Amino acid sequence: MTELLGHGLLLLITSSSALAVLFIFFFIAKDALPFFVTRDAGVLDRLREFFTTTAWYPSSPSPSFGALAIFVGSGLVTVGAALVAVPLGVLAAVCLSDVLPFAVRQFVKPVVEVLAAIPSVAYGFFALVVFAPLLQEHGGLVLSVGWWCLVGPVAGLAVFVLSDVVGNRLATPRRGRWLRPLLGLILGGLATAGLVYVGGRLAGIEVGSGTNAFNVSIILGIMALPTVTSVSEDALQAVGRELREGAYALGSTRAETLVRVVIPAAGSGICAAIILGLMRAIGETMVVWMASGNAAQIPSPWYNVLQPVRTLTATIAGDMGEADHVTGSARYHVLFAMALALLSISFVCNLVSERVIGRATLKLR
Amino acid sequence: MRLGSRKLLDRSFTSLGLVSILLVAGALVVLLMPIAVRGARAFVFRGTIEHRRLMLDHFGRGNPLELEAEWSKARAARQPVYDWITQFEQEWRSYPAAKRREYRAELDELKGHLRVLLGPPPGGERPVMVRDQYGQTRWDRAQIKLRNVLLVEEWDYSDPTQMGRRVLRPRATHFQGTALEPLFAYVETHIDEMLRPRWTFYWRFLFDNSLDAHFFGGIWPEMLGTLYLTIGAILFAVPMGVVSAIYLVEYAKEGWAMGVLRSCISTLAGVPSIVFGLFGLAFFINTIHVSPSKSVLAGSLTLAALILPLVIRASEEAIRAVPHAYKEAALSCGASRWRTIITVILPAALPGILTGVVISMGRAAGETAPIIFTAAFSVGPALKLWETFTQGTPALPWNIYSLCTEHQAVDEIRHVQYGMVLALVLLVLLLNGAAIVLRARISRKLTG
Amino acid sequence: MERRQVRLTRWLGSAVLLLGVAGAGAQETKIVVDGSTTVGPIAKAFAEYYMADHKDVRITVSESGSGNGAKSLINKTCDVASMSRFMKDGEFKAAVEAGVQPVAHIVAMDGIAIIVHPSNPVKNLTVEQVRNVYLGKITNWKELGGPDKPLVVISRDTNSGTYECFEELVMNKEKIAKEVEYVGSNGAIRQRVQSTPTAIGYVGLGFADKTVKALSVNGIQPSRATVASGIYPVARPLYLFTNGYPKLGSPLHAFVTIHLTPKGEEIVQSIGFIPLTVYSANAGQTEE
Repeated sequence: MTELLGHGLLLLITSSSALAVLFIFFFIAKDALPFFVTRDAGVLDRLREFFTTTAWYPSSPSPSFGALAIFVGSGLVTVGAALVAVPLGVLAAVCLSDVLPFAVRQFVKPVVEVLAAIPSVAYGFFALVVFAPLLQEHGGLVLSVGWWCLVGPVAGLAVFVLSDVVGNRLATPRRGRWLRPLLGLILGGLATAGLVYVGGRLAGIEVGSGTNAFNVSIILGIMALPTVTSVSEDALQAVGRELREGAYALGSTRAETLVRVVIPAAGSGICAAIILGLMRAIGETMVVWMASGNAAQIPSPWYNVLQPVRTLTATIAGDMGEADHVTGSARYHVLFAMALALLSISFVCNLVSERVIGRATLKLR
Repeated sequence: MRLGSRKLLDRSFTSLGLVSILLVAGALVVLLMPIAVRGARAFVFRGTIEHRRLMLDHFGRGNPLELEAEWSKARAARQPVYDWITQFEQEWRSYPAAKRREYRAELDELKGHLRVLLGPPPGGERPVMVRDQYGQTRWDRAQIKLRNVLLVEEWDYSDPTQMGRRVLRPRATHFQGTALEPLFAYVETHIDEMLRPRWTFYWRFLFDNSLDAHFFGGIWPEMLGTLYLTIGAILFAVPMGVVSAIYLVEYAKEGWAMGVLRSCISTLAGVPSIVFGLFGLAFFINTIHVSPSKSVLAGSLTLAALILPLVIRASEEAIRAVPHAYKEAALSCGASRWRTIITVILPAALPGILTGVVISMGRAAGETAPIIFTAAFSVGPALKLWETFTQGTPALPWNIYSLCTEHQAVDEIRHVQYGMVLALVLLVLLLNGAAIVLRARISRKLTG
Repeated sequence: MERRQVRLTRWLGSAVLLLGVAGAGAQETKIVVDGSTTVGPIAKAFAEYYMADHKDVRITVSESGSGNGAKSLINKTCDVASMSRFMKDGEFKAAVEAGVQPVAHIVAMDGIAIIVHPSNPVKNLTVEQVRNVYLGKITNWKELGGPDKPLVVISRDTNSGTYECFEELVMNKEKIAKEVEYVGSNGAIRQRVQSTPTAIGYVGLGFADKTVKALSVNGIQPSRATVASGIYPVARPLYLFTNGYPKLGSPLHAFVTIHLTPKGEEIVQSIGFIPLTVYSANAGQTEE
């Protein structure tokens, strides 16, 4: 009897987290609904206004709540963050799981953990107080240095490898000796010219405002990086020794083993890692609130990340205080509608990532 | 492909990986360096005599006799400045009207800058605001203010089709031939004696109350508020999290219900932090009224919901890691299932659980968004324990935000902002460091 | 095991006891201020000033926005709501239904200064011109009598009291153009204008320092005298709301009337706002 009672109690406590999720959905939705269902306008009109127009004037006497620009802003910084976090994070994960010797790995893992542990407001402070002024005053310089540092090594390697590979294709015993250096020279020259041209263009850019989508994307990317790295490292580790050893036994090099065997096998896990990293970026508040510029506009042209944007999270955090809670105005409820949108996005992402991970473990078994 | 090129490809792949690791580490350094270096300046800086006076007046620190002696020296060094001003004011009366008006504005500006640098002139009434009662307390700020005294920035608009040009002129030229002329050279050369800078280690920055909206003093209310919130969140989340983990590992039968429960836990882990804030506002405060308005209690509950999945996952892992033999041995000795859990499994899993708890403490301490609507005040005294049930509190993360965006004098108190960020980052990193050490010990124990 | 449990219970018991005793021992007046970020600095300074002389009074200030302040007052969870706008009809109605009678105390005036880079030769704009700039109809300084340079228009965030005030006083119910850049705080606007020669922005008067140039509007330079007397066109009052007029002589009464004392005026001015009364000699200063 007591056993049963205890069991019931335990179940109750355990289900509290499920209850919490339900409550969150319920209470957010409860306050979001009045925005769409009002006497002033039809549900469809409100929906259309919210999702398809860009006029965000919540405080004006005749308010309009077009949140399209804000959705685009959220999307833009998230994509930007992904561009930073995904290549770096996945490469770092590969390096951690398969390349670095154990002794070194023990020092590198804490670095990644520390990145994950730093509070978001500290990132936001850095973005606002250190990075934004730097961008604004030496924007072109920062951009071109970043370009050289990131693309330079990659381009160098690519030239090296490409000239070697192509050289081998074309080589005959007679012209083998001079062909490869020549190819290297030509390709290297082309690459350098490209680098210099783009670098020069970047150096010429004047950054209008330091608090912009670019700033936020970089910082969010760094914040999402630990998630991407650790989850994809787990996925890579989960790929057994047998697969790797099999590949080595067939004579593959390490790079070939990784690229052709291990990474495809861990693919769905890496996908899940990317989704989780993106969720971290889209749900982040403080960094975007402090450093995104908070302009409810779609940048023109849309990919111009050097313009300020406004995101869902920052809008909720910033507008909540000024909205009048008492009367439950549309301005108050629209923020809950945004929260509901965020919640739904993260819920769907979570389901997808779970599915993907589940499939991965099934496949590996 | 030739073997050589395959090797080359292999090497370049490896080096790409290494580059990415280096970039990650580089990002960490770039991020932490300014925070560490400039944050340290909140604690270690060259404090002027104004700093020591402030400490004595408001915190009762320092030796009054020594300070009085030093203060009289500083006053003596400043006296000529005020003498020249009085002399000039007398001279000014004899000037023609137009010149008088011109000099009036110039003099007011100069006096304003001097007041900022050195504090209010002797003899006048004591200003109300603490920030007006003292001159520059920090030597680095004093240097900037000194520049304002010595130089005037002017704009030349002679060509209306172009932007004006900036002209930087020594202020002394404005007062050429008047009684004030020697003042500028004097101030420049004697600033050391007027402010008497000395290296100061202000470790009490962490434990002092703030003075005049963080112009002076320390960050104790914020520290304490963060502590309360973190401990409160842990108090709620850990019992629930550990019990849930026990249930999930020891009791739950896998089935669709458990599947749903597990998805719920991972959904909870993925909910954006700002949504937790809204939920805390809508549920804890507006619906079940745990407190009439913002309070540490409401904030702790919200944070607890946020870290619950973290605690569950960590505890679950720790409990799963306990070797099966332990449990079987206890059960075969005739211990009941529950007793086995309490006396055998939990103690064995305790270090692992603690690691998870410590990491989630770090998370709770650093979160801002959930406490904006549920607990954070901008200004408030350090709370007593029983007040946490009904009152909100200042907390490090929120006050970092509010000081670096909303504060009146954002640029003047950069050192306080950096100091706060450093304190918060150190707090979180110490917690995480503890977790890393703890984990290393466990793995050593488990491996033998 | 059991012994440990006993010890635990004892610990818990004494902790609860301690809590109770300490709770009963606390006897001090508490004043809770909640509301606008604009009025926040005034409330904070008043609180520090008042608490320095009255050790038995504890004042907390929360800057969570005007709307939040009104809500707290109506729920009776704060004693003073600091607001940068007047209470809205709905809020008033809700207050009266909840048995709260909001009384407004105007603590200070806040002028909104239109600022440009100090290198900008333009000195004066009309309200009409400012509106057209923010509507996106004027895009070049040439149209305002300046050099041939495109304008960079900067606005406060839509959730700020300063924005609402600007919208009301300048925009005349028209909506600010989308291309305008939004900046999170007064300090950030100033910084943005400092570093951008072709920028135009607006800030609370307290933020218009030497590093930027405050334009005169309709020929009137923003200053303490012009704002207080109502000549300067872009200014607004800042409020503290209480539930009924506080009992005379109570700490709350003292707190909401600090701005009427000379010290209070000094505080208001020192933070960069304009005291209500300008009977002093400064009133005539602007004509020079």
